[in-house]
Amino acid sequence: MRHSRFTIRAGIIALTALLFGPFMAAPGSAAGDAIKIGVPVPLSGSYANAGIDILNGAKLAAERINASGGINGQKIEIVPEDDACDAQTAVQAAQKLIDEGVVAAAGGYCSSASLPELTTFHRANIPFALDASTNPQLTEMGYDNVVRTIGRDDEQGPFAANFIANALHAKTAAVIHDNTTYAKGLADNTVSALKTSGVRVVYDNAVTPGQADYTPTLTRVAGLNPDVIYYTGYFSEAGVLVKEARQLHMKGTFMGGDATNDPTLIKTAGSAANGMIITTSPLAQFISGAHGFVQQYEKAYGHAPGPYSVYEYDAVGVMAQAIRNAKSTKSDKIIAALHQIKNYHGLTGEIGFNAKGDRTKPAYITIIVKNEQFVPYQQLNAAGKWVVAK
Amino acid sequence: MSTFFQLVIEGLTIGSFYSLVALGYTMVYGIIRLINFAHGDLFMVGAFIGWTVLTTLAATHVPWGLGLLAALVIAMLLTAVLGVAIEKVAYEPLLRSSRLSILITALGVSLALENGVLLIYGPGFNTYPHLLTQAGFSIGGVEINDAQIGMMLLSFLLMLGLYIFVHHTFVGTAMRALAVDQDAARLMGIDVENVIRLTFLLGALLAAAAGVMEGVYYTQINFFMGFLLGLRAFTAAVLGGIGNIPGAMAGGLLIGLLEAFGAGYISSRWTDVFVFAVLIIVLAVKPTGLFGERVVERM
Repeated sequence: MRHSRFTIRAGIIALTALLFGPFMAAPGSAAGDAIKIGVPVPLSGSYANAGIDILNGAKLAAERINASGGINGQKIEIVPEDDACDAQTAVQAAQKLIDEGVVAAAGGYCSSASLPELTTFHRANIPFALDASTNPQLTEMGYDNVVRTIGRDDEQGPFAANFIANALHAKTAAVIHDNTTYAKGLADNTVSALKTSGVRVVYDNAVTPGQADYTPTLTRVAGLNPDVIYYTGYFSEAGVLVKEARQLHMKGTFMGGDATNDPTLIKTAGSAANGMIITTSPLAQFISGAHGFVQQYEKAYGHAPGPYSVYEYDAVGVMAQAIRNAKSTKSDKIIAALHQIKNYHGLTGEIGFNAKGDRTKPAYITIIVKNEQFVPYQQLNAAGKWVVAK
Repeated sequence: MSTFFQLVIEGLTIGSFYSLVALGYTMVYGIIRLINFAHGDLFMVGAFIGWTVLTTLAATHVPWGLGLLAALVIAMLLTAVLGVAIEKVAYEPLLRSSRLSILITALGVSLALENGVLLIYGPGFNTYPHLLTQAGFSIGGVEINDAQIGMMLLSFLLMLGLYIFVHHTFVGTAMRALAVDQDAARLMGIDVENVIRLTFLLGALLAAAAGVMEGVYYTQINFFMGFLLGLRAFTAAVLGGIGNIPGAMAGGLLIGLLEAFGAGYISSRWTDVFVFAVLIIVLAVKPTGLFGERVVERM
């Protein structure tokens, strides 16, 4: 629904973005025979902030790799391309990267854009490491050229449902999404897991993203009086939703999926965001091994890394490792080497991939907004009990 | 029953924004038969100017009420200047050429505005300072926000002002004369170019006011915000009968109410379907829109 209306505009915007591209993202280095790694992310449109944070993570990874001598003596070069979080623009972005001669790609944000990108890369036999796209379908199509450093929605959904049922002890829940590939996938997975956990789902519906006023939807939800409201869409709408939910004096706990994990949420909602709980992969700030990365990022870009910056850092790192192990820039060899990776020491922990390309041990935590700051809340311990997260 | 009244309040709040922006579409169409696609973006530009003024003033010790007024007035004035400049540069040279050229120019202007703001302010979301009181009251389970009342009141005052201006002043009469027949109006000694410019100015004033109000009330602004709202406001103008001022006001409120009832009673996923289905039904029964006249009196 959304994309059909936005397509023409997004196309023209992408065109303009190409014209103004040099202002938005300059490629890292321009060494003659550098190994090019393409980074397709949204650099324009509503989710451009997230895209820039991801690109920054890729640049830091390339800097570190190049500083330690590159891959088998060759430097790597990051080639960004704007996919505008739009399926059609994404195909063009991926094609453009292929035309520019990238040997591998690492990036992606919106699953709805990563899906056509993956297909395009698959046709050209180019390996693609995903850092943020969590829709299960991405690794269910039988493509061998895909891996991801982040968990899947059908892992996050049950995690969220477990939290709602066993940590919050909720009896009823409302699940709202925005009809995008990612949000609907997470919502569907959460709803089915909630049902098996014995939580009654009283509302399961979508809103149109980009609106300023969601009070009619919230009024409907308020009438059903759920213990928990779980929004699986993106941060900008989540900020508006939580603010308006407070205005309507809704009593249930407001929760968001991992795409709501962005400072814009708090800026939009202000103190109304306090108490909101988010299910997410751990932020770099909350990973003990990534403190150096956070400092380096803040020094380079003047603000804290985005939620996926560190996953992109690892995606580029894994890809570089695969190229190093393959001792070649031939696609088949890189892809084969990628699937051989079993315990790469990433900043986000040990990284290995199963046959589909999914990360073998993805981690999730819940965070809460306290005094208009994200702080760790609860996580599952090894025994499957909810404990306070550090 | 309280849900019903709650939805009415919400629908009217949403609708009053649509009405303010719809007026710009309808006035320009009424006068030069142009669907001004750039109009939604003037709303966005207004919001950004207001944001700049407010955040600049936030560093000083200006009381927030005064700051708000300054943001509203400055944004309205600058956007009005921009609106007239756009008319002068982009539309005036094409007034005598085919409708299609000027329509496509309007699309170009829209993209220029969006990308101009994108370059200056960046692609992310800017947030207004949280100025408005969260206080409100509750009547029989219906939650009403003080700020909500203020917003609706302000937009109704602006619309009333416009109505009086168009129907009870000399210049307004000239505008209406132009809407009926441009050549005849020129023969009667009306300065056609100036009146057209005035029309763009009025539209931009209202759009900027709506932009600042949206920013202050909903806090989140973005360079793309004019698109979705512009689309709905344009729909409102068509529903009310494009070219007709009370029609645009009524159309905006009606779209707001339809959206609220659609999301509240049927399904939020199908809100747009609901809104556009009503539009199609209305146009099928009355092709000129609710208030539209086939020929003579347009505004």
